[in-house]
Amino acid sequence: MNGATVIAVIAVVAILFFAARYIYKEKKKGNACIGCPYSASCPKHQQGISCDMPQDNK
Amino acid sequence: MRIAFAGNPNSGKTTMYNALTGRSEKVGNWGGVTVGSKEFKLKKEYAGNKEVIAVDLPGAYSMSPFTPEEGITSEYVRTANPDAIVNIVDATNLSRSLFFTTQLLELGIPVVVALNKTDINEKEGTKIDTAKLSAKLNCPVFETVSTENKGLSEMIATAISLAGTLQEAPYLQADIDLHDKNAVDAEDRKRYDFVNKIVAAVEKRKVLSAESTAQDKVDTVLTNPIAGILAFAAVMWFVFWVSQAWLGPLVADWLVGWIEMFQEWVAGQLENSPAILSALLADGIVGGVGAVVGFLPLVMVMYFLIALLEDCGYMARVSAVMDPIFKRVGLSGKSVIPVVIGTGCGIPAIMACRTIRDERERRATTMLTTFIPCGAKIPVIALFAGAFFNGAGWVSTVSYFLGLALIFLGALMIKGITGYKYRKSFFIMELPKWKAPSLKFAFKSMMERAKAYIIKAATIILICNTVVQVMQTFDWHFQVVEEGAENTSILASIASPFAILLIPLGFGVWQLAAAAITGFIAKENVVGTLAVVYALTNFIDVEELEMTGGANTVAMTMGLTSVTALAYLFFNLYTPPCFAAIGAMNSEMKSRGWLWGAIGLQMATGYTIAFLVNQFGTLITEGHFAAGFVPGAIAVACFVIAIIMIGKRVRAHFDEQYELHKKTKAAVTTAA
Repeated sequence: MNGATVIAVIAVVAILFFAARYIYKEKKKGNACIGCPYSASCPKHQQGISCDMPQDNK
Repeated sequence: MRIAFAGNPNSGKTTMYNALTGRSEKVGNWGGVTVGSKEFKLKKEYAGNKEVIAVDLPGAYSMSPFTPEEGITSEYVRTANPDAIVNIVDATNLSRSLFFTTQLLELGIPVVVALNKTDINEKEGTKIDTAKLSAKLNCPVFETVSTENKGLSEMIATAISLAGTLQEAPYLQADIDLHDKNAVDAEDRKRYDFVNKIVAAVEKRKVLSAESTAQDKVDTVLTNPIAGILAFAAVMWFVFWVSQAWLGPLVADWLVGWIEMFQEWVAGQLENSPAILSALLADGIVGGVGAVVGFLPLVMVMYFLIALLEDCGYMARVSAVMDPIFKRVGLSGKSVIPVVIGTGCGIPAIMACRTIRDERERRATTMLTTFIPCGAKIPVIALFAGAFFNGAGWVSTVSYFLGLALIFLGALMIKGITGYKYRKSFFIMELPKWKAPSLKFAFKSMMERAKAYIIKAATIILICNTVVQVMQTFDWHFQVVEEGAENTSILASIASPFAILLIPLGFGVWQLAAAAITGFIAKENVVGTLAVVYALTNFIDVEELEMTGGANTVAMTMGLTSVTALAYLFFNLYTPPCFAAIGAMNSEMKSRGWLWGAIGLQMATGYTIAFLVNQFGTLITEGHFAAGFVPGAIAVACFVIAIIMIGKRVRAHFDEQYELHKKTKAAVTTAA
């Protein structure tokens, strides 16, 4: 295994790990729409509920 | 400590809230942008050592709610007992704003009036005596300009210092029977008289409200049912032309060139490494994500222009001109707002539907609003316009207006299914004053969306492309697929059954089916997946930074003609949106039946449009129908029959629900 291959394997693993970790963290925070420019403005998101969860019928 | 920010729609509440808290909530130069309450801590420079929570409330004209968002505001200030209220008053329209102010002052909670937009008053020569106004209202009044952070420190410091004290009202509602409409109307008139007296005493205007200004003349044209729609078509064409045929591609070509050079470099470094690694990193991750990021300039330019249009006040005029059409097809006048917002992103557009009072209209709008191509679909449009239509701007314009036409047709169909008749509904929207759009605001809005786009590309799309690359590289025995045996890959075997269904649409190959499927995770994935499965970057000359081979090479590789490419584009645009948007639909509709109805309708619409474009396009260009005409026609006929059956079933239940004497009549007949 040459140096470039080792670096490439590490790069692929690191990129996928950080991408997956980011998605997991966002989902845990209740953000269902990763990348959505409005996710922070979503009133339900602010209450810790994701956008796609049913809300009560008030 | 909690401070509520309340005021009329479009008075600048959210702009002030953003300035005081450092948040970036959606703002717009029109009423109704804020549909729910939001809370956040005030910045230290305003709150000092205290923990002060600012609560941004939707706009309201009075404490008697006419719309659901007014209901949120009136309920909050009545029941949540905030420590103080900052009443944001539009200084350019004092007489209208003070009605609500006098009602807030009656609640006993300390009120501080922020006389906002005073910069516009200065330009128009309107003067307001704040000291006199403060004395008349019996509360502190501050001149503010939210967009420039002017007057905010003193205003918020006063609000904090007054927290917990008792407010004395300058006007008290008489002890009337609140069930008596006439008595309530008379009381409201008295309050208006009181407000008008205050305004007469404190305000000096150079331009009277009754005078017809140049702005009014422009509005007469832009809100005219015919001229307004023609102007809207021209404006949207210009937006799409600049973003997708001129400025956007200019920057994108340069960016794509660099991405391709980087990809080539990565591939070069991995020449002696296993092929799978090179495919995964160079083609899957760099190539796939790069293909999506390459379209970022187009999306950014479009968002910038849309933000300029929103900020100058044009989008409010569009709402006014579209309102009668929406009502005529069975939607609410308020349905215009989600449709306009949908140009940016489908999720806030769906969320904006909650301001529609009538349940059927709200659900119908939620169901249809994603037919408007959102920002995530721009890369898909741009890819096909660039590869098959010489980058023509008309592709985007046609996609946009076809989306609008589908909303109207869909609304008519839902009206037919549910059996409702035309009814009058009210849509009140103040036309904001025209103003020079803020480049800073548009730039900020564009950068926020660009950041979100990059995050999406670097997370969801990156992982999807990696999975697609792995599924394409291996077969079910986890053996690397040999060249020429790509049809044995995991991806091919999963996508092939779906591809059969797409033969009547002209793109029955597994690669295109796979791209359409991954598009449900995020629409940008269509481009990313196509880049991976077809190695689209092979068509780009990295030295010259331009596409080689032209449309014919791309068409041959993808197995598409211009007609089938258009059919594929429309299929991706009008089939259901991404899963996140479907989740938002579920949340707003609160009905499984309506949700599945929406998904079914969107799937049927996308399929039918693609079928018609492919079959009739082929008939026109080649003189015969394309392959799979009969099975496709049967599928479309099945959609029509299903819709008719659902309509009959819904109407039958409707009759059962409202029939009063049928059962009694039947019982009497049986007894006789």
